[in-house]
This record gives sequence, C-alpha cells and structure tokens, in this order.
Amino acid sequence: MASQPDSVLLDVQNLSRSFAGIHALNVVSFSVEPGRITSVIGPNGAGKSTLINVITGVYTPDSGGISFAGKNIAALPAHVVASKGIARTFQLEELFSSMTVIENAMTGCHGKSRSGMLACGFALPSARREEKRIHDEAMECLTMVGLEEKASEPISRLPLGERKLVGIARALCMKPSFLMLDEPAGGLAGHEVERLVGLIHSLLEQGLTILLVEHNMPFVMSLSEKIVVLDAGVKIAEGPPETVKNDERVIKAYLGQEL
Amino acid sequence: MTLLSETVQYAISGITAGSIYAVIGICWSVVYLITKVLNFTTGEFVMLGGMLTWAFHSMGFGLLPSVLFAVTCTIAISMLLERLVIRPIRFPTEMTYMMLTIASASVIKGLVLLQWGSESRRIEPFFGTAVIHVLGAGVTPQVLCVVAMMALITLGLHLFLNHTLFGTALRASAINQTGAKLVGIDIGRFRLFCFGLAGGLGAVTGIVTAPITFTGYEIGLLTGLKGLVAAIAGGWSMTGTVAAALALGLLEGFGAGFVSSGLKDVFALLVMILFLILQTISLPGMRRR
Amino acid sequence: MKSKRPLPVLWILVIVGLAVLPFVTPGTYVIGVMCFVAFYATLACGMAVLLEQAGLFSLAAPTFFGLGAYVAGILAAREILPPWAGIIVAAVVVAAIAYVIGAPLLRLRGYYLACATFGLLFIVEIALAQSGEITGGHDGLIGIPPLSVFGFTLRGDLHYYFVSWGFCLGCLWFFFNLMSSRVGRAVRALHDSEIAASTVSINVARCKLHVFVLTAVMASVAGSLYCFYLQFTTPSMFGFPLLVELFTMIVIGGATTLYGPVLGAVVLIWLREAIHVYLKGILPKLTAEVDAVFFGVLIVAILIFMPEGLAGGLDRLAHFGRRLLGKSA
Repeated sequence: MASQPDSVLLDVQNLSRSFAGIHALNVVSFSVEPGRITSVIGPNGAGKSTLINVITGVYTPDSGGISFAGKNIAALPAHVVASKGIARTFQLEELFSSMTVIENAMTGCHGKSRSGMLACGFALPSARREEKRIHDEAMECLTMVGLEEKASEPISRLPLGERKLVGIARALCMKPSFLMLDEPAGGLAGHEVERLVGLIHSLLEQGLTILLVEHNMPFVMSLSEKIVVLDAGVKIAEGPPETVKNDERVIKAYLGQEL
Repeated sequence: MTLLSETVQYAISGITAGSIYAVIGICWSVVYLITKVLNFTTGEFVMLGGMLTWAFHSMGFGLLPSVLFAVTCTIAISMLLERLVIRPIRFPTEMTYMMLTIASASVIKGLVLLQWGSESRRIEPFFGTAVIHVLGAGVTPQVLCVVAMMALITLGLHLFLNHTLFGTALRASAINQTGAKLVGIDIGRFRLFCFGLAGGLGAVTGIVTAPITFTGYEIGLLTGLKGLVAAIAGGWSMTGTVAAALALGLLEGFGAGFVSSGLKDVFALLVMILFLILQTISLPGMRRR
Repeated sequence: MKSKRPLPVLWILVIVGLAVLPFVTPGTYVIGVMCFVAFYATLACGMAVLLEQAGLFSLAAPTFFGLGAYVAGILAAREILPPWAGIIVAAVVVAAIAYVIGAPLLRLRGYYLACATFGLLFIVEIALAQSGEITGGHDGLIGIPPLSVFGFTLRGDLHYYFVSWGFCLGCLWFFFNLMSSRVGRAVRALHDSEIAASTVSINVARCKLHVFVLTAVMASVAGSLYCFYLQFTTPSMFGFPLLVELFTMIVIGGATTLYGPVLGAVVLIWLREAIHVYLKGILPKLTAEVDAVFFGVLIVAILIFMPEGLAGGLDRLAHFGRRLLGKSA
C-alpha cells in the first residue's frame, strides 16, 4: 500500500467518487512530495474541490486509497484526518461568522489543546493557562498572514481578501504538516494575490507541504513545482509547469478544441 | 367478541384514525412545501372545525350552516395567521417560524378555552346512529363518512394539483420559488392560498371526526402532531402521507386494542422519532454524505 | 452572538441585589415568586445555549426538568434515598438517558430534531401520567420531603430562594466561562459551519452530545430542587405549557446573550403575576388559560417587532453608550 514515506507525503491511488451517477473523481492517482508545492488545476467541474473533500474525509471514496505519511486515511472521518496534521481552506471560506478574527484562528488550535468541558466551565487554572497559550499561538498565525491589527474584528466586517487570509491563519494554527488551499486566489485583487504568493513562499520555507487547487493560471504556473491536471474527474496530465502548459490534452480541456 | 371481530374492529378504528391523520398530514405538507413553514397551528385548525361547529350549532343554527360557518371562520383565521404573523417577519429562520406557530397555537387554544371552557363537546352524527355489522365488528355511517372524505379530498387535491393551471403553478413554486416568481407567479397570493387550504381541510377533518371522538380545546396538539408524523414518514408527498397515515392509524388501533389504550399516543410519537432517526442512518453499502 | 463576559461589577451588583432582596420585601411573596424565576431562568438559559449557540433545535429541556423532578421525588417520597442523594441519582439517570437518546437524535438536522424532541415531551408526559403506581399518575406525586443537607433542612421560600438563585447564577457563571473557552468555540462552531468545525479536528457529533448532556443534567438538577421546593409534582407541569413559557422567556430576553433568558424569566414571571393580580377581580378562575393567550401574543409581537429581545436591545444601548462616551472622551 504505502510507498517510500521519505519521498512521498501524500499518495492518492486510483481514487474514485461519484455523485448520483456522475463520476466526480475517476480513478485518480498522484503523489505529493514533502516540502514542495503541488497544484491541481482543471476547468470547472473537473473534480478539484471533490478531491480535497475526499482527502480530508468530508466524503468517503467509492474506491481507491489515500495514504498520508505511510498510513491509510481513506476511511477516516474528517476530524480524525485533521488531527493527523492535514489542514485545508475552503473555496467559500466557511469561516465561523459568529466569531471574531482571532476566535476563528483560535479554533484552529482545537486539536492541539486538551481542556474539557468541566475544566473550561469551572475556569480551572489549567484551562486558563491553555487558553492563554492558544491566544498567543493564534496571534502568531494572524501576524504571519498580516492580520494582527484586526484580531478583535467580527468576521462580517472584513473584505473578501482578508477573510481568505483568516481561513489560512485558522489552518496554520493547526500546526499542520500538509496544507491544502482550495482556490485561495479566487476573487482577490492584484495586490492581494501578490501578498498571497509571498505568504505561500514563506510557508514553504518553513517546511510546509502545500497542495494548491486553483483556477488562476499565472498564479499556479509561477508557484508550482508540480502540476496535476484534472478534467471531468480524470487526471489528464502531471508534471512540471512547462510540460503541462504545452500538453495538448490540457489545452484542449481548457479551450475545448485543438489549437 | 371473537378474535376476528376484535381485529376487524381495531382495524376499522385504525383506518378511521389513519384517514384523519392523512388529511392533516396533507395540511402540513401543503404549507411546508410552498412556504417552508412548519405550521404547528395545523392541529388547532382541526380543533376549531369541531368546536366552532358545535358553538354555532348550540347557538341555534342548523347543522349544515354551522359547518359552513365553522369552515369559513377557520379558513379566515388561517389566512390571518399567514398575513399577520408569518408575513411580517423580516429575517425568518426555521426557529422563528416554529416559535411563532407554536405561540399562535397556544393563543388559539387559550382563546377557545376561555370562551367555551374545558369540557369535551359533542356533535351529533350526521347520518344517524345505525350500526352496520361487518365480520362481527360495528361500523357507523360516520366512520364511512370519514374514510369517504379522506378519499375525496385526496383525489380532489390530486386532480387539482396535476390537472389545473393553478395547481401546476403551485407545484412549480414548491420546487423553485425564484423561478416561479420569474414567470410571474405571485408567491404572496399562493402562500395565502396554501394557508387557507390547510385551514379549510383541517376544519373539515375536525368536523367529520367530532361525532366520533369528542372535540375539545386540547385535541389540537396531539392530533396535529400525528399528522406531522404521517407527513414526515411519507416524505411530504401525498401518496406517501396517505400510506404512512393509514399505517400509523392501524398501528395505533391495534396497539390500543391489544396492548393498552392509555399509551396509544405514545406509539405514534415513538414511530415518528424512530422514523426520523432511521432516515439518518446509512445502511452498509450506502455512502456517507 | 456574543459571549463577552460582563464586567465583574455587574456580577457584584446582581449578587448583592439578590442577597438584599429578601430583607427589603415584606413577607415571602416576592421571594417565593423569585424562586420560580430562578428555576425557569436556569432552564431557559440552558435551552437558549442549545438553540442559539450550538444551533441545536432541541426542545427537550422541560422533559429533563420533569425527569429530574420525578426521579428525585420518587426516591425521596418512597424513602429509598435521602433527598440530596436523590438529586445526584436523578442527575446520573438523566445524563445516561440524554447520552443514549442524544446520540441518534442529534443526527437530525434543524426542524426534525425539534419535532423529535417535541414528541419526546409528550411521550414522557403521557408515560408519567399512565404509570400510576410509581408516579402517582395524573394527580401527581405528593408527600415529597424537603431537602436536607448536612442535617440542615431547607424549608420555606427563603431557603430555596438562596439555593435556586445560587444554582442559577452558578450555571450562568459556568456558561460564561465555557462559551469563551476552547469548548465554547467548538460549540459555537457547530452553529456556524459543521464542515469547517470538523476540518479543525472538532468531533462534531461528540461535541453536540456533550453540550446536550450538560444542559440535560442542569435541567435535571433544577427539576430535583424544584420538586423539593414544591414538595409535589404533576406530569402536566412539564409539558407543552412549560415549553411555551420557556420560549417566551427566551424570546423576550433575547437568545443571543447568555443572560438574556434570565432577564426574560424575570420579566415574564413578574408580568404574569401582575396580570393575575389584575385579573383576580375580573376572571378569578381562568388565569392559566389567559397565560397561554398572553404568552403566545407576546411571542408573536416580540418576534415581529423586537426580534433580538430585551438583551439585544440592551446590548445595542450599551454599544451606543460606549460609542458616545468614546467620542466625548
């Protein structure tokens, strides 16, 4: 099942998932090397978001396997997958709208903290200490994305670009070894995209492995070391940006015809 | 009584009850599908039908005029409910609608109690009290009336929804409200119509049942709830609701007859809860989410 | 949804106010009413946490309240256990029940959970009424002895006033701590986005179950204390009318804050007392029915005109005041 755990962090093998008879993922296989950034691209409906959802355990695969750091995670529920060090952001943010920015980030620390209901309810010293630690860690993550000034703002007051950064901060608080970004550049203005690129570079420098699902071609081409291309649930290409860019099938998938 | 005649007797009472629950379940569905409101006042419409008929009748009106007045009043009350209570909410959530309709049910119940007291009331059976014997069990004309009414209403609604323009438009708005508005359908009027329809059907149910079970201020809640059970178990479709209601009625009839009549209401509620829970369990082989 | 902690000075004011109240009001009438307020406030608070913070449409509070009352009451009336032990046993029993039925029930979303817990309300009420030999049936359980702790017997309104308000404020304090902590964030996350919650490793099903059992136990203890206060219970006390009352309190006070339902309880019960006094001259016998109408109309009116309730209005006033002061400072 598992391959060489040193050179592959995530190994997706023949993954399939259908919804109401439509193959969202059709025997998809690829691998993600640690410390690098791998991108998954494809036209609309290619199955990119489904891929993230299946890997993170939101959906179960119909068939196929997923191994992470040598262990099989295909059948695990989402919260267990998360506790293994896999974090993700959402295309449509999915932030906690009743909370402030820092509270959103602090939820990311949930998996690495222990205080139970009774400890928190009775405000035991151990719970209070842990709360302080969580608060500090969340502030660090907010600083990393440049939002430390807005920590106490309610989410609803932030513009889209900043809300996306909160999503990333929340994922970073999980201290993940593997981060999946689902269309982080969607709806962002030029300078915001630049800020995002800078952030991703600094995350890579810290040793994080990143899977990027994106639509925005220049963004992907400039960042990625390896690109996987999906079209209608099937993998049609895989390789470094230059190779993929010139692949006939990729061009056809995006443009609908041969050039 | 022999075992056979006992069984038949319980079956008859079960089918009678089932017919009532079927129509009430339809009242819930009609409102829920078009307006997304779970109208907890549905049971009170049933109660109002019976109580108002008794009230008018005891004021001296004949039976038929009393029935007509009662149905009209209930329809009016239901429409008022939609206009005055449901419509003005600016940011409706499911919880808000639930609280509102429960509150309205409470108000209606309280007003009826204040006006007419807490004793059970009775209306005379419409067609006399002759008992027909079937397989050793007794059937009264009233019972036949209830079942016939249910059949008529179901058939009538089916024809209306599927073979008239208005009915088709109603079904369209249930499926997609925005699309309906875009083709010029006035959703506001439809909502009003649905509430009125539910009120009318509920009232008729209450009136037809009143000679068999007594009517009183407190019957609304439980009867309404059983109608809800039928609607949920039937997947909000008309055939499903009728089937579920009849099954529920029979279960209740046999349970009350052979086990214990005090706990018969409990059966219906347990069925509902069980059914709701079973819906969420995925069997092996089915996909999670 | 706010879980900002109120200033300590507010806590002190409230505690001092409550402590002083018995000595500035004549007789025991006010204290007696305030006992009811405390019990209902605790219930309403727990229910509001489930409804608004966790987004769980559970109407089970009156059921657990009643179960807590009956289990402790039966154990004490039959002299099987002393009252204080009865409270604990009732809490354990209710916790077990909540745990067992919670797991399947909480999978239901939205309306369906409300329907199921609504049904539960009736099931338990009917079951209690029908089990005459154990529970005293429709007429209820009588002969419940008063609570005694360490040899000190609690009798009369004054004792239970302090116990009930102590418990109520204790629960409130517990919730304030909880909701601004790690667990509280997990609970609030349930309301906002279950999917996002699971991706930050929150075990959604377990979190729902825990908060459900917590409020069930709170309701149970409140119920047990209630039955020792009244020294009798009937099944009809824990049914639909109680649900409507709790709704009204939550709606009046506002569900978005933790203290809103408490405020709602105070306002509602005193409003009801005022109406009863007023009506005594006119309709001496029909007060409960008038209650039903009154509460219903109140709920509708508030939901239409002031959906955030009193607490929401107060919050906005406070916010406004702070901005005013901020500007002039």
